[in-house]
Amino acid sequence: MKVRRVMLAVGIVVVAVALQTTLFTRIRPFGAAPALVLLVVIAYARHLPPDYALGLGFVAGFLQDLLADSPLGLWALVSTTTAFFVVRFRDRLEDDFSLLGPFVFGVTAGALALFSVLGTIFGQKTLADAGIVRKIVLPSAYNLLLAALILPFITWTLGIARRRIAAFRL
Amino acid sequence: MWRPSNLDRTTGIFIGIVVLCLALVTIDLRASGEGLGSTLRDGTQAAFAPVQRAVATVTRPVADFFENISDMFSLRQENLQLRDRVAELERELQETESLHVRVGELEALLGIQPPQDLDSIAAQVLAVGVSEFDHVRVIDKGSDDGVGVDMPVVDEAGLVGRVVAVTGSVARVRLITDPTMAIAVRVERTGETGVLRGRGSGPMTLELFGSNTAVVEGDLLVTADARFPAGIAVARVTQAARSEVQYSLRTEAQPVAGVTRVDFVLILVFTQDEAGVTDLEDLERLPTDVPTDPGGPAEGEGEEPPPTTTTTTTTTTVAPGSTP
Repeated sequence: MKVRRVMLAVGIVVVAVALQTTLFTRIRPFGAAPALVLLVVIAYARHLPPDYALGLGFVAGFLQDLLADSPLGLWALVSTTTAFFVVRFRDRLEDDFSLLGPFVFGVTAGALALFSVLGTIFGQKTLADAGIVRKIVLPSAYNLLLAALILPFITWTLGIARRRIAAFRL
Repeated sequence: MWRPSNLDRTTGIFIGIVVLCLALVTIDLRASGEGLGSTLRDGTQAAFAPVQRAVATVTRPVADFFENISDMFSLRQENLQLRDRVAELERELQETESLHVRVGELEALLGIQPPQDLDSIAAQVLAVGVSEFDHVRVIDKGSDDGVGVDMPVVDEAGLVGRVVAVTGSVARVRLITDPTMAIAVRVERTGETGVLRGRGSGPMTLELFGSNTAVVEGDLLVTADARFPAGIAVARVTQAARSEVQYSLRTEAQPVAGVTRVDFVLILVFTQDEAGVTDLEDLERLPTDVPTDPGGPAEGEGEEPPPTTTTTTTTTTVAPGSTP
């Protein structure tokens, strides 16, 4: 059971990365795409036990790093921090989407802002990007919209009806 | 009083992962794109390419649907623009034909061999970067097809970027708009050389040094960089500008290639070594009193300063897309 769910989670992360790098090449409203992998990390971190949530965040980020042009470990750091943040605050959130939506928006924006700051520190000149605000705000807004689909989907894949019942047993 | 024992298990694991990530970043930066990091990247890219191909095929109808919707709105406007463009191109074609004759005459006069066409490899864009901050494209041709690191990549309009990593079946192209990219360019109209820098999204920054002349809106910037064949269109100036203090000029330019919506590209079989040799050969043919212009970028910024090809008033007449 454990292995199957872990494999499923990793599989969903892989598909999210593949969608991020292929489907969203062409679907880019206003010149930006959702940060789908971050959204999947947020969705899993709401339910998984803290250790697993951090591990999944690291794996998702590291996979991004391996396919990105940025230094190895940068996305892993951002993704793990995102998972840690969600783990810390998840108990204060109800399943109400009116609360979860802004939370997803804020966490995504924070993660992208963290990436741009760290990227600049490590020589990627991300803050020098002319469209930096657009590149943070638009993916966060798209994540807010996609959260209505992705969060319930991830909950469903974990076989739990609501987070509150989340005596999650991997 | 704070003690390490006050940390809960989750925070401890988080700090451990953060330290691990920072170590990875440091090691990767010190390796400068080589070593284990590079091997892991190439391996992952090669292994992930079939997944990306499969997902791209499966999601193509979805992408087509959304693209068609957006196209419907822009089609009418685009049609009008294209009509204007056709009329403009017909006019330019006539001008170009007469210029070709003139170039031939001048080349014969100077004893320069007409530039030979470079070999090229057509490729399709398979995937983009993993985030909005990643200015790369993954193309479906690799070293098995003859693609090599540092080769220039163009589309029908101009320079798109250059190959930065290659596996057997795919290659990664860094776009010219990447903030770490700096390209030595020449203003086609005046022959002045300068440096064009990427800024992620939006217009690129053009800097001319030791320049007395102004640039005007619409001025075409072509490559004058030893890493690329000379004369490839790169960008058009979007803001007229004059020299400021100490003869430096700074303005903005828009890439001519469809950098954000590129589907098919051509990889030019051209390497820096090849360029270096050709440049030296060209230098030997030039009169000794012809001034050369280094035109490199400001020190300490971006990737290593681009080596420029020799720029003189005679080379400005070489047609775009030709070899140096």
